[in-house]
Amino acid sequence: MKWRTIGAIVSKDLSLYFRNRFIALITVLGTVAFLIVYFVMPSTTPVTDVGLYAPVVPSAFVEEASENIDFVMVDSEAVLREAVTQSDYIAGIVLPADIMEKFDKGEKPDVKIYFSPETTEESREIISLFIKGLAYRQTGQIASFNEKEIVLGTDLLGQDIPLRERMRPLFAVMLLMIEMFGLANLITVEVERGTVQGLLVTPMRVRELFAAKGITGIILSFVPAALFMALVGGMNNQPLVILTAMLLGAVMVTGISFLVAALSKDFMSILGWVFVVLIIMAVPAVGIMMPGTITGWAKVIPSYYLVLPVHQAAHYGSGWGDVWKYMLALAGFDLAFISLGIIALRRKFQ
Amino acid sequence: MTDAIVAEDLAYWYGDLVAVDHISFNVAEGEILGLLGPNGAGKTTTVKMLTGLMRPKAGKAVLLGLDMAKNTEKVQGEIGVCFEETNLYEQMSALENLRFFARLFGINRFDANALLKRVGLDGREKDRVETYSKGMKQRLMVARSIINRPRVLFLDEPTAGLDPSSSESIREIIKEERERGATVLLLTHDMEEADKLSDRVAFMNKGKIVAVDTPHNLKQQYGKRALKAKVASEDGKLEDREVIMDTQETDKAVQELFAKEKVVTVHSEEATLEDIFIKITGRGLLG
Repeated sequence: MKWRTIGAIVSKDLSLYFRNRFIALITVLGTVAFLIVYFVMPSTTPVTDVGLYAPVVPSAFVEEASENIDFVMVDSEAVLREAVTQSDYIAGIVLPADIMEKFDKGEKPDVKIYFSPETTEESREIISLFIKGLAYRQTGQIASFNEKEIVLGTDLLGQDIPLRERMRPLFAVMLLMIEMFGLANLITVEVERGTVQGLLVTPMRVRELFAAKGITGIILSFVPAALFMALVGGMNNQPLVILTAMLLGAVMVTGISFLVAALSKDFMSILGWVFVVLIIMAVPAVGIMMPGTITGWAKVIPSYYLVLPVHQAAHYGSGWGDVWKYMLALAGFDLAFISLGIIALRRKFQ
Repeated sequence: MTDAIVAEDLAYWYGDLVAVDHISFNVAEGEILGLLGPNGAGKTTTVKMLTGLMRPKAGKAVLLGLDMAKNTEKVQGEIGVCFEETNLYEQMSALENLRFFARLFGINRFDANALLKRVGLDGREKDRVETYSKGMKQRLMVARSIINRPRVLFLDEPTAGLDPSSSESIREIIKEERERGATVLLLTHDMEEADKLSDRVAFMNKGKIVAVDTPHNLKQQYGKRALKAKVASEDGKLEDREVIMDTQETDKAVQELFAKEKVVTVHSEEATLEDIFIKITGRGLLG
């Protein structure tokens, strides 16, 4: 590898990148816009209304149990069901009339919890654990639940994440991905204007050209995303894990950009391809923002393995031991996309 | 004199379309070979194979004694290529373009300003290329192709569509490069240019080389020179007379013309390379 050659191309590409006013504008405005959106969003978690129908209300349920959950008393189970169906409440709890008697006898009363169809999986878990917590406070006894649920519940309960913080992975991934426009455009323009032929008749190897384009792509996607995460405090926890995940994400973006450039003839076709990719890649991040909205199928989307470690490290302080599997999968996707991208671009250059 | 360029049975095809059909030719060191042919004749594909941009489907290209396929990087350090289509970085200045390519060639000390002055672009060196006229861009393309003082220079239609002044300045550079010792493969439609600059010309048609020789020999072989005269008849009208040159009967015919006719005007005329190309291939160079 001739690093002088690679350096010359990277330097030229970065210079040209910022001379393209549209591309430079979307990079700067994109970063600024995401920062503004982040900072104008509420920094506190919203208070959630939960409907409660209880002929007899245990004292624990009357006291202020959580600053994030408010009970709203309703007159009947039918009213409660209707309200939950209409999504007036995130959940509806029905306590039986003999609840106190059963508590006193040490028996387990039947508690119904209604969830609206839109209630997320995570919210269901939180509500369920919250009820168990109240029951414990009332009786001093641990309700029956499996240990796995307890761990998850303990982690989530009381650690509600403000919406804007939940959106950090989405913003970071969008910032990473949006650079597909820039890099794919740089490459497509090289082919469209024939400048790549000018490069390929110099004593430069094709692999050096790809290395240069790859480095340019990684810089262009990684820097704004890392800058954003740093500015919004997204790297207060496990910065190395987050930086590594985003670096791997930038490599993936570069590979996808190679593919997009190979498939595109001009900027309009780049726009088309990138929007399709952006929408698909944003899905796992949306799932983090709104837990429960995505299911297992999201695991086939490569960005899932980028979003998840960033989310877990940033929000729950997960370390290497927790996220290495995702990182490995991400590295696998990197290899696949870079290889496919290089093969496709080679064909295009030919 | 050794050969700087040797094409050995070179062939390239796109599916069923044969672009270059097993051609062989050579260009000696310091020689200018004009490669002539209409659009689609296979000239550009030939140059792409010779410069390492495309790998031949058959045959091989040997430049400066080295097999291009095996020594691409090394050979590319010794060649310069000026493409037909302008392929400069238009958002960069002329200086930036040249300095960038100098870095790719590993040239540390390089006087870009002197080179730009040589091609007449001094004073505009810091302007973005997108603001240049076609002629200026083409001169910059030529400057870029000689940045590494190449031993072999490939020029694909270097003066196409340019005004006479720009064309002439590019021709001067080609001559200077040849005087420096560079070998030049010149692809052109311009017969006059090929005739003036080339030591030899090769005619290419439908992927094949159909003739290679000096312009003089080709004219001798395929098109005779003639003496064209206008003579006054007895009733005062002007009539045309023609004497074919370079034959055994030429001297006698000329003497007879001047002895028996009242010659008013006389001039010599010779076949152009285009005439010869049409004669050989049955089609024009612009067809």
